[in-house]
Amino acid sequence: MRLLKAMLALQASEGAVTDAALRKLARAENVPLYRLQGLRSFYPVFREQPGRPVQVQVCRDLVCRMAAGGAPADAVRDVLAGRGDAEITEVSCLGQCDHAPAAMVDNHPVCGGPRALQQYLAGEPAPSPVQSDSLEHWPTDPYDSAGQHYATARSLLAGGDPESVIAALKQAGLRGLGGAAFPTGMKWEFTRKAEGAEKYVICNADESEPGTFKDRVILEDLPHLVIEGMLLGAWVIGARRGIIYLRHEYHAAEQALGTAIAAARRAGALGRSVFGGDFAFDLEVFVSPGGYIMGEETALLEALEDQRGEPRNKPPFPTNAGLNGRPTLINNVETFSAVTTIAARGADWWNAQGIDDHAGLKFVSVSGDVARPGVHCVPWGTTARDVLKRCGGMAEGRALKAFSPGGASTAFLPPDKLDTPLDFDTMQAAGSALGTGAMVFVAEHRDLLDVTLAQVRFFRNESCGKCVPCRVGSRKAVELVEQVQRGESPRPGVSLAALHATLAKTSICGLGQVALLPLVDALATFPDEPSLQALREEEP
Amino acid sequence: MSRQVELTINGKAVSVPVGTTLWDAAAAIGIDIPVLCHEPRLRPVGVCRLCVVDVGARTLAAACVRPCEEGMEVRTDSEEVEAHRRTLLELLLADQPDESARENTTGDDALYELARRYGIKDIPLPDGAAGHPRGRDDSSPVIAVDHQACILCDRCIRGCDEIQHNNVITRTGKGYETRIAFDLDTAMGESTCVACGECVAVCPTGALTHKAVHGLRLEEET
Repeated sequence: MRLLKAMLALQASEGAVTDAALRKLARAENVPLYRLQGLRSFYPVFREQPGRPVQVQVCRDLVCRMAAGGAPADAVRDVLAGRGDAEITEVSCLGQCDHAPAAMVDNHPVCGGPRALQQYLAGEPAPSPVQSDSLEHWPTDPYDSAGQHYATARSLLAGGDPESVIAALKQAGLRGLGGAAFPTGMKWEFTRKAEGAEKYVICNADESEPGTFKDRVILEDLPHLVIEGMLLGAWVIGARRGIIYLRHEYHAAEQALGTAIAAARRAGALGRSVFGGDFAFDLEVFVSPGGYIMGEETALLEALEDQRGEPRNKPPFPTNAGLNGRPTLINNVETFSAVTTIAARGADWWNAQGIDDHAGLKFVSVSGDVARPGVHCVPWGTTARDVLKRCGGMAEGRALKAFSPGGASTAFLPPDKLDTPLDFDTMQAAGSALGTGAMVFVAEHRDLLDVTLAQVRFFRNESCGKCVPCRVGSRKAVELVEQVQRGESPRPGVSLAALHATLAKTSICGLGQVALLPLVDALATFPDEPSLQALREEEP
Repeated sequence: MSRQVELTINGKAVSVPVGTTLWDAAAAIGIDIPVLCHEPRLRPVGVCRLCVVDVGARTLAAACVRPCEEGMEVRTDSEEVEAHRRTLLELLLADQPDESARENTTGDDALYELARRYGIKDIPLPDGAAGHPRGRDDSSPVIAVDHQACILCDRCIRGCDEIQHNNVITRTGKGYETRIAFDLDTAMGESTCVACGECVAVCPTGALTHKAVHGLRLEEET
């Protein structure tokens, strides 16, 4: 973290990380120049020269594209044409899909499109993003007041059995809620059993997949549950140090975490003597220098080790060889918060929250063509139709054409799958996946080629470039489809399904493995979609 | 004595010390697995993915980095594996320059050799060299850099760092725009490069070649 922190400080104070600054840093830190160039050129927050005084970052991804009816930056450029002091950059999903089209001005989210941006830049109060479904009290929070925070950990650490936490997680059937769905109890057990002089707990707070913003709300509203989950993790596996790896656009979450960590220290939940006992644990927030790939847990570890954020070949897995080669427990924001809920209320309570044989409560991010986008906390087993109802149904009373149940990495489903209950296995059986629970609803008037290609472009844009299939394959696939779109070629010339199979089977990490999935799957799932006809292998 | 693991590769039983990679285990029993980013003198990185093999998992494993496990049943040459290798080669070849400086001089371009082995002639993909030329760097008096021929195999970087300890080369940029660079992305001739030639020696393509041999053009096939 040392080099990246120094570079982040330079970027913040100077507006750039210049060659001169890097030469100085290389001498001070005794590292070769090439190493710093590798970092500066990889992470999007760094620039070689300061830019114009006003930095406007406009989201280019699916939900904002739908809200803007085309490339959102085009309209912004028109409106800001007279502002010579402003520099407009197209960026990947900002995690503000509930206020699409989204932008950031000098790290401040400004939502609502070009008009709102114009107002904000003119110094007028722009409508600030309001959480559409922010509750006074989320049902996962076991505490009625701040004074009760950390009571669960306090009581467990006073004489409880760490194994009992693992047993409760297993009984609750908790699986990783960052998208990969790995059984949490097993992960904790592996890391507890792994041998290492030092161990770490890391919270992956780098959600960046288009359509996903539920961790933002959890971090802002329930940071104490995340911190307590990490404390329990540290106690169970035997770690003294924790790191929250936070995406750099989440400034409000950073503030909320800072306040909550200070409160946790005051409550004795963090520090050299947790709750006055002999267990020591403290944590810090590391703000990511950017990039969706950093949410891949081994890429995240590379960043924490001051390397380019390129995913590692696995095995070994972080449970045995993570940060600095030591056993490392990495869970997502929602997973850690669910751990606290389960530890406080018990697995029986958790299991009773779900519908039928589904267990627990799930935060879903809902966006796209719905009347009221936002984050909802629903019982597992709630159908997609019920989620849509909670959001006021489809916007403007339009009919539904397709929905993505889990984010950009999951396949779109047709309306006849709306009654699928939300769960990992049920969504898989329906032909898609629950992913992060990022539900994007698409209305009948949309062009599914434009929609699915936007998702593929996102993965191409965010490929780290380490392995051949993802780096070159995602690029060529987009080019082939764009050639057809522009009418330069009647068909792609190669089988997109075969290209997808190579990316899925040979890429190092999940990004390359799913890069072409939304588009290739739609070819099979939506046989009558006119916009996709030209991409099919056989003549129509 | 180190512990051994037993496994089968293409049905052939093999016993190797714990920690041995699938690529090394296969080589030990005479099974050749194609690879571009790996070179036995270097620490394997598993980025070209040509050495992928079927170990019965959801995805294929890169043999150069995957340690052997007890009881593994490995297929290195199934129809599916070979089809993916072919696609990977096509992806790389789509961006190659019209001529390889290595093939034209020392005649040992490993990518071209694999293309011949797999009988690849036409590439059904957009030509990267025409659409997005990556440029070259002729600033060094002895080494020619053709970014268009670079497949980002990382061999020059490891050769420079780990064999010679010169610490000059990195990957710069991200995604498809990634390329190799010297120091703070300085021209090679103005960088701290000492022109030792290790990067040229380990480069599998025409990306890094000795200028001195460019005049010695091999006879072209007729």
